[in-house]
Amino acid sequence: MDTTPFVIERTLNAPINRVWEALTDRDKMAKWYFELDRFEPVVGFEFSFTGGSEQQTYVHLCQVTAVEFEKKLSYTWRYEGYAGNSEVIFELVAEGDKTHLTLTHKGLHSFAENGPDFAKECFAGGWTELVGNLLPKYVETP
Amino acid sequence: MRRDVFQAIADPTRREIIGMLTQNPMTLNTVAEKFEISRPAISKHVRILTECGLITINKQGRERFCSSKPEKLKEVADWAEKYRIFWTGKLDALENFLEAENKTI
Repeated sequence: MDTTPFVIERTLNAPINRVWEALTDRDKMAKWYFELDRFEPVVGFEFSFTGGSEQQTYVHLCQVTAVEFEKKLSYTWRYEGYAGNSEVIFELVAEGDKTHLTLTHKGLHSFAENGPDFAKECFAGGWTELVGNLLPKYVETP
Repeated sequence: MRRDVFQAIADPTRREIIGMLTQNPMTLNTVAEKFEISRPAISKHVRILTECGLITINKQGRERFCSSKPEKLKEVADWAEKYRIFWTGKLDALENFLEAENKTI
C-alpha cells in the first residue's frame, strides 16, 4: 500500500551547521526553498507560503513539530481550505565535512479525500518546473 | 458518494484490506476474521473498494474470493510521484545553494 511515507536521502557537500542554517534561516530559505515572512525553529511556530501556478495557488499552512539543533526539524504541511495534513521531517547526520540529509514526507494519503482533481491541480501549471529547474539555475548563478 | 481510488484509500480499514489482498486473494470470511469490527462493516468497506475498482470478487463454489487490482493504485503512486519530483527539485536547489555558498566563503 502506498501510504508509507516517502523518503529522500542526499549527502550534501557542506558541514552540518550550514545545512541547518539553510533549513532554518529565513533569508537562506528564500534562496532555495520558499519565501516566508518569518521563520523560527521553535516548536509550535506557524508559517505559511503560497505555491501553485498563476491560475491556481495554494496556501500551505505549516507548524513546527520538532526541533533538535543541527539534528532534526519537522513541521506539519497542509493546504488552506482542504482536508488532510502531512508532516515533513528533515534529519541531519554529519559525515566528516559533509552532511547526510534524510527528508521524510508522511501522511500524503490524507489529502486523498480531496480527490484526484486536487492531486492534479496542485502540481499543475509548472510549479514543479519552477522549483525543479528554474530555482537551481538561479542559485547556481553567482 | 464519489467512487475513485482516492475515496477508496481515504479510510484506514480499507487501506489495510488492500494491503492484505495485494499479498494474496482471500475469501471475504478470511478478510472479516482479521478485523475486530463487525462483518457488515467489513462487507461495506469491501463493497466500496469494489465500486472504486480496487478489488474484484470472484465466486468459486460457495466461497467469494477477493483480489486486489494493483494497477488502480498507480493513480495514487502518480500522486506521490509528484511529491518525489517536487522534493528532488528542492534538494537539488538546496545542493546548488550550498555549493554557491562554498564559493563565496
